[in-house]
Amino acid sequence: MAVSFQQIEEKLKTEARRLLESGEVSLVLAWGKGYDEKHPMPYVAKCPSDADGIVFNEYCTHNPARYLVRYPRGTKIAVAVKAADSRAVVQLIQEDKVKRRDLVILGIPVYGIKNPKTGELIDGKTTCGLYNPVLYDVLIGEEVHGQPVSSPYAVLAEYEAMDRDARFAFWKKELDRCIRCYACRKACPMCYCDPCFIDQRKPRWGEKSPEPAGNLMYHLTRFHHLAGRCIDCGECSRACPVDIPLYLFHKKVAKDCEEMFGQAAGMSIEDKPVLVNFRMEDSDKILE
Amino acid sequence: MSRIGVFVCHCGLNIAKTVRVSELAQFASTLPDVVVAKDYKFMCSTPGQEMIANDIREHRLDRVIVTACSPLMHEQTFRKVLAASGLNQYLLTIVNIREQVSWVTHDLDEGTAKAKALLNGAVSRSRLLMPLTSRVIDVNPDVMVLGGGIAGIQAALELANTGRKVYLVEKNSTIGGHMAQFDKTFPTLDCSACILTPKMDSVLQHKNIQLMTSCEVSEVKGFVGNFDITIRQKARYVDHNKCNACLACTEKCPGKSVSEWDEGLVKRKAIYIPFPQAVPQKPVIDREACTFFKKGKCRLCEKVCEQKAIDFGEQDTFSTVKVGAVIVATGYDLMDTRDLIQYGYGKYPGVYNALEVERLFNSAGPTSGKVTLRDGSEPKAIAILHCIGSRDKNSHEHCSRVCCMYSLKFAHLFKEKTSADVYQFYIDIRAAGKGYEEFYNRIIEEDVKFIRGKVARVAKSVDEPDRLIVEAEDTITGKFIKLPVDMVVLSPAMIPRSNAKDVARLFNLSTDKQGFFMERHPKLAPLSTMSEGVFIAGVCQSPKDIPDTVAQANGAAAEALTIVVKDKLELEATTVMVNPASCCACQNCVRVCPYGAPFFNEPKGVSEINEALCKGCGLCASVCPSSAIIARHFTNEQVLAEMEGLMEF
Repeated sequence: MAVSFQQIEEKLKTEARRLLESGEVSLVLAWGKGYDEKHPMPYVAKCPSDADGIVFNEYCTHNPARYLVRYPRGTKIAVAVKAADSRAVVQLIQEDKVKRRDLVILGIPVYGIKNPKTGELIDGKTTCGLYNPVLYDVLIGEEVHGQPVSSPYAVLAEYEAMDRDARFAFWKKELDRCIRCYACRKACPMCYCDPCFIDQRKPRWGEKSPEPAGNLMYHLTRFHHLAGRCIDCGECSRACPVDIPLYLFHKKVAKDCEEMFGQAAGMSIEDKPVLVNFRMEDSDKILE
Repeated sequence: MSRIGVFVCHCGLNIAKTVRVSELAQFASTLPDVVVAKDYKFMCSTPGQEMIANDIREHRLDRVIVTACSPLMHEQTFRKVLAASGLNQYLLTIVNIREQVSWVTHDLDEGTAKAKALLNGAVSRSRLLMPLTSRVIDVNPDVMVLGGGIAGIQAALELANTGRKVYLVEKNSTIGGHMAQFDKTFPTLDCSACILTPKMDSVLQHKNIQLMTSCEVSEVKGFVGNFDITIRQKARYVDHNKCNACLACTEKCPGKSVSEWDEGLVKRKAIYIPFPQAVPQKPVIDREACTFFKKGKCRLCEKVCEQKAIDFGEQDTFSTVKVGAVIVATGYDLMDTRDLIQYGYGKYPGVYNALEVERLFNSAGPTSGKVTLRDGSEPKAIAILHCIGSRDKNSHEHCSRVCCMYSLKFAHLFKEKTSADVYQFYIDIRAAGKGYEEFYNRIIEEDVKFIRGKVARVAKSVDEPDRLIVEAEDTITGKFIKLPVDMVVLSPAMIPRSNAKDVARLFNLSTDKQGFFMERHPKLAPLSTMSEGVFIAGVCQSPKDIPDTVAQANGAAAEALTIVVKDKLELEATTVMVNPASCCACQNCVRVCPYGAPFFNEPKGVSEINEALCKGCGLCASVCPSSAIIARHFTNEQVLAEMEGLMEF
């Protein structure tokens, strides 16, 4: 990356100020100062002076696209996005949750983002691993040349080697630890249902408090609600306080979906949401 | 607290053979809220129905469960019993213990156990059922007929004669279909054109028929009683309102293409009418063959047209018609016999398919009715090969039904028009039909040679290079024969139209194994489909001859009439509704609905349902991630209760 985090931050601030001053947008979604440098937070700039509060460093893992659906339809929003974040924006446009015309997308090509908890580099293991945003209006910095060598699905090798029983045992063990804080749901840009099925009482789909059966019901349903929609930003797993590797399941479903229907989530605004779009040539493998 | 009555039907021995029915009734009476449980030999009989009605009164039942056959058979029967007894008809539950239980097992214990589980589920769900009110809608009195072959023509005329407005939609530039290509029709040998063209002309003249040629259906919305059908009028590049059919254009046109009507045996012009009696008698331009479209200059037709009817700038246009019922009569294709290389079609000029031979016989055909080979000579020996691609496990399993008879007809015509020896290679002669067996006997006496055996191969003769050798085993004598002939006629399988799948999808029809449209019931509803208000007639349903096709067309017309004759139609109350408080605005419902019932209310930011379009299939409810869509009669609570009941057993 030829451009430093500092340069990106400056450019973000300038762009945000310009957009807010001109009235082109009424708010800018980006990152802001947290309680220390290692913990920046999602940040909303609503007036030109707010732009100074924007921060960008190697710990800005959060996906600002998460906050797009919070505002009334038609609100003009500028959103700062990294590669995977931009896929979330694209997927939201596909699902008609936001309109392309209401958005100014500030695309940030970047690598070297780190997980604040572990200090590990975030790469194709827990995210889609792309460097460049798939859609943007303003490029903040310079596009990174080349693409990641390893496939975002490479991490699945070990998981796919397991048989059915082993996989079930694996998830049962992992999900038993869930404390039902719903951080995964809160961090996820595609989890916008209000109310979430698990919060409903009529019918009551599953137990709300942490217990094995309810945990399984909540997570398995959530995995499938995200089938063909998860854009692999990995925020759910990073948000999880007990480190459940949720990204594994999402990646597996995304891989199956891509193999069956030849379409990855959030790659093009011309695409239609894959599981609710019928095409004659669609694979019947899903019925097997 | 509900008061549930359970009524177990024996269906003679149909159910009682593999389900212990009295034990099932006994089991039912132990379930909570069940106040009466009985079994009876035939619940659908009058005494059976009276028993239910009496028990509703006597035990003040508020839910009724009938464990019997599929709801497709008798749901309406029992609903009427409930309604007559003052109960809302939607408080009935049918448990199908015949098709889903007794007919799929031989084991009495297994059958009884499954029946108990299903019943247990039904009792759990039954408590949660809600009374519903049927919807009444206005019915559009018009009908659309898709396909302008003999089936479509017949159906359209019948309907039009009752005073209904009919839209007859045909994809080609003329109506007439395959029948217009035939020379004679079996077994009476009357001229096909002589009996068809008067009907074609009646269609054109009929004030109630709107003929839409060069048209295709591109979208179907709505449902029984109220279809909104979008029709694409393909560009013809000739304004048919201005054209006076002088046909000066077709004389001057330098563009050439093969004639579809003459099965490619001759060429036609790029601006053409398919055949002299075409209806409408107006030319169209074949874009693929037109010199102007290919090279950018020519416009000869435009120059000679005094009416200024040629318009090269014409585009496809779309229009919408509103109808109450639809008859699909899209006909068939002949199988491409080039795939069966052993018969040499497309390789040896002496091998013909049946439709080509029809054209050879026809006086309006490429040879003016003379039977000659492609080199102009008259054949001395002719072999007619039955069952090419049909009754064949490697190709199509079905029997094409008409080939035996038209092969006999061909034999007769060959004998009449040539001095050739005619050989029939057959598996069986199927001559079931009025006058068909007599016709067969007549042909036997005309010195036609019948050889029972399927031809294995058609090869080029080594000794006489112009001739062909037909190799077969005569299964009566057990001898292997090699017969030298000049002409081989293949009777190819009749298969569904290449675009039958698209039509099926447009109208939500199901197709059978071969791809023909599926009827609602093979015996009792042969012209209805699973898509209400859509009927099928003719070969698009299965191979059949002209008399059967016409009979079906008349039947389909009558079926369509039963719908459009009414002003109002009662529809199932089982539609869906949206709970706006739970709607997450994902619009999945809008995307998956095949009927276009849900729509997104942009200002409110929630989905809503156009109930007039909803058929209650429940697709939207199943894709709704936040359970905001409630399918009446199949609510989440009801379905979950049923599943719990099933699983707890």
